[in-house]
Amino acid sequence: MSLAHETLASLRRRLVAKEIHPRDIIKDLLAQIDAREKTVHAFTHLDGQAALATAEKADLSLPLGGLPIALKDNLNALGDPCTCSSKILEGYRAPYDATAVARLRQAGALFLGRTNMDEFAMGSSTENSALGVTRNPWDSTRIPGGSSGGSAAAVAGRLAIAALGSDTGGSIRQPAALCGCVGLKPTYGRISRYGLVAFASSLDQIGPLTRTVEDSALLLSALAGHDPRDNTTDLRKPETFLAKPTGSVKGLRIGLPKEYFLPGMNAETEASIRSAASWFEKNGATLVEVSLPHTPAAIAVYYILATAEASANLARFDGVRYGRRAVDPKDLLDLYQRTRSEGFGPEVKRRIILGTFVLSQGYSDAFYRKAQKVRGLLRQDFESAFTKCDLLLTPTSPEPAFPLGERTQDPLKMYLADVFTISTNLAGNGAISLPCGFTKSNLPIGLQLIGPRFGEETMLGAAHAFEQAHDFWKRMPPV
Amino acid sequence: MSVPKLNVADVAGLARLSLTPDETTKFSSQLSQILAHMETLGQIGTGDVPEVVPPAQPALRKDIPTPSLTVEAALSNAPAQSNDLILVPKIVE
Repeated sequence: MSLAHETLASLRRRLVAKEIHPRDIIKDLLAQIDAREKTVHAFTHLDGQAALATAEKADLSLPLGGLPIALKDNLNALGDPCTCSSKILEGYRAPYDATAVARLRQAGALFLGRTNMDEFAMGSSTENSALGVTRNPWDSTRIPGGSSGGSAAAVAGRLAIAALGSDTGGSIRQPAALCGCVGLKPTYGRISRYGLVAFASSLDQIGPLTRTVEDSALLLSALAGHDPRDNTTDLRKPETFLAKPTGSVKGLRIGLPKEYFLPGMNAETEASIRSAASWFEKNGATLVEVSLPHTPAAIAVYYILATAEASANLARFDGVRYGRRAVDPKDLLDLYQRTRSEGFGPEVKRRIILGTFVLSQGYSDAFYRKAQKVRGLLRQDFESAFTKCDLLLTPTSPEPAFPLGERTQDPLKMYLADVFTISTNLAGNGAISLPCGFTKSNLPIGLQLIGPRFGEETMLGAAHAFEQAHDFWKRMPPV
Repeated sequence: MSVPKLNVADVAGLARLSLTPDETTKFSSQLSQILAHMETLGQIGTGDVPEVVPPAQPALRKDIPTPSLTVEAALSNAPAQSNDLILVPKIVE
């Protein structure tokens, strides 16, 4: 069997036992990519020869020695492109490593491929990429989710063993759910954001997309920890996360937030989530109904705060220091305006305009400051829920993957796809999505477990126990 | 509060974007729909709730020089440069 089907943990065991060489993994992945990338289009950039060359020098004594990881195209890796799937970063080559990338490199990992995304991570379907759409490996007429759609499709489609993504409002978890893989958004401050192209700095967090919870824990262990270059990273000592079988989920109190089970939600999604909850109960956990009363306000809060932060963060793309520059500008204003108007796609422009507006004089109290206050209430909702339970269990997405093109003309409807993932970014908590079933038409359904801040260990342990008791993660997509 | 009128072309100007007439029309209707949704926040009582400020930590690092980007690396992506400087259109007549 092709090594492309294995996990980081199993490949690691085989590399250490000298049964295989890192180059064998790269070769098998390149063969898969040859066969499937034309349909899936998970990558924006691939350099197989470079990966094969680094595979020869891999140090197998390191924790990720010789293991290939794909990177979302918004993470700087020295010498490689970093387009954010935008025309404005055409031709850019990263002059440094993001801390997350440097840590994987120090742990011995190899990099194979940069993955497609919604432009500047703004979207929930990867259709906002200026470099073409990515297709869901389970059904190529459907979206893979977004914005880390390329990472999710690559991992699910066996074009990568594991990948990094970034999650500002669900951009790791929602595509992981829609493609049938494991997506972890760590607690805000767990992983350094240095070198991640900023979208909304108070919400962005880097995390792994993998086939198993064990692999997710393996990558988190390499990535977590304070970084002097990111003052929002947590100061506690780095932990090692082991997703070893805890034996049972006995005694865990699992909260079901009633606002996440809406009348009219997709019936197959609800049935799968309810059945996952029953599994936890049968195995010794207690189910508790809890309330996160400000959930209905989360989308509005998010799209005010995220766009406000984005309008400031994206001001740096002005055609002066790097990236695209308009040809023959008549003056500096013309250079700024034409560079940005030619370089940014419609969703990015829409969000910059919205963010500029909610921060503008006369409106910032009603929008931006009001949203910051409601964000405080959302955070209190979580704190209060976690006095009654150890983890929250919810659907990751209200429905399985939708058809390509269905929502591109209706941004508000697209925004509503993030309804179950956004609140955790606003509150700063960590959350994981893992496969918990399939629809009758064979589309994956994702279960979300949300932990208290810095509660990754409990979350990973429970997710691992559920995963290992089922075989959803082993299923192969048809594309 | 009623939904405020968003003058898309004006706000785009503040953000240094110039829009085509088609974009202006399309964004105006899409953004007014989005703003109408955001208006629902007005119904939530937030009397003395403090605003969330991004969590910063008392983590000032020691003032010790450490290696950073070289001039060459910092300029490696500049669209136009000369003598280790970035070139831009003239701004003073």
